[in-house]
Amino acid sequence: MNFLIAFVFAVFDALSEVDLISRLRRREPKAMADLYDRYGRLVYSVIFKVVRDRTVAEDLTQETFLRIWNRTQFFDSEKGALGPWILAIARNRAIDYIRSVDGRMSKRATEFEPAAEHPTAFLNLERDILNSDRAKLLQTAFAKLTPSQRQVIELAYWEGLSQTEMADRMKQPLGTVKTWVRTALKTLRNELEEVLTA
Amino acid sequence: MKDLYELYALGLLEEPERSQVETELASGSEEARARMRQALENNAILLAMAPEVEPAASLRDRVLQVAGGVEPGRANSQWMWAWMAASAALLVTAFWLSSSLSNRSSELATVRDQLRRVSSDAADSHAQLLRARAMLAFLNAPETRIVTFGPRDPKPPKGKVLVHPGRGVLLVASNLPPATRGQIYEMWVIVGGKASPAGLFQSDADGNALHLFENQVAPGAAVAVTLEPEAGSAQPTTTPLFVATI
Repeated sequence: MNFLIAFVFAVFDALSEVDLISRLRRREPKAMADLYDRYGRLVYSVIFKVVRDRTVAEDLTQETFLRIWNRTQFFDSEKGALGPWILAIARNRAIDYIRSVDGRMSKRATEFEPAAEHPTAFLNLERDILNSDRAKLLQTAFAKLTPSQRQVIELAYWEGLSQTEMADRMKQPLGTVKTWVRTALKTLRNELEEVLTA
Repeated sequence: MKDLYELYALGLLEEPERSQVETELASGSEEARARMRQALENNAILLAMAPEVEPAASLRDRVLQVAGGVEPGRANSQWMWAWMAASAALLVTAFWLSSSLSNRSSELATVRDQLRRVSSDAADSHAQLLRARAMLAFLNAPETRIVTFGPRDPKPPKGKVLVHPGRGVLLVASNLPPATRGQIYEMWVIVGGKASPAGLFQSDADGNALHLFENQVAPGAAVAVTLEPEAGSAQPTTTPLFVATI
């Protein structure tokens, strides 16, 4: 029975997301309301974790949704995964902001170009990834990282630091930081693979 | 490089690793593409671990202003019910199919793929039907009036702007100059010298275009069209192809 319920919900979610993307592409204002109701709090939470200022987080949340509104024309309603795309845009807007505030933007403007923000990068991802079993596994695996590994992951995701910048911040050799980063990401992936293939 | 795709997707990978990842992706390797997809999924999951913070209630209104802030009409709820009915019918079909097959899990996966394709096709048809209906209703409405632009201009484009005080603006344009690769037409509604985005559209091969902006337009406003980068712009960045006062 649980399987059936999960199946029904998965199909409904898929249908409603396909419909939502189609309506966004038609620039229906109501679609924006539905999009905000579905992702607004998550987008705001991600941005707030980066900028730690409510007013700035609100401005950047509005900017994020404006960007989505202007780019959904290029989003594939059949194959695109909306959640990961929206979170990438939100995080990038927030990181852009803190870089501009602390002066890193001018120093690395040409380097910080998120490789994956264009809608076409988000094709064929698991559509309901944020609510999947894999999400729960990854969150559990994250808790198993060593303090150093967890710190480098947080510096990357929430402060937008490159490995060189992490080494400066942590006053550690670059090679040590690279090892922590690789090991952390590998550990997360291995934990997933072990459970999923068991 | 396989452990560093997450950093690459975050825009944080430095040289020489960044070029190495880009080379792997550019090679068309399915393994590299799969790693990239997994990295994007993992990044999304990790970002979604941010502690939940409740935004101010007013933020919703601010965000909706981006899209014009129009509340849903009754037609939308009717379509929602139609969709739910159609979805239910699809589900019944899916369950019947799945129960009649011996290998339940693999066949269900197939059915789900079929459902996804069917729902996508239906969504596209639904979109076209909605668009056609909206345009027909627009044309039939007695309040709709027509503004012609460009007939005396020596150069194209030419066309008509149909204005309905409650429904919005329907643009019928011809002889539009071709948009180059990476460009798109963007319509603007100009009130008091301030331009607001009114949607993106493309023309056909002959330069003809039809674009419906479903939102109230203030009396005395003007409609303009510019060529913009394909993601659209918040404000016009090129000289308007035409301006029609409505």
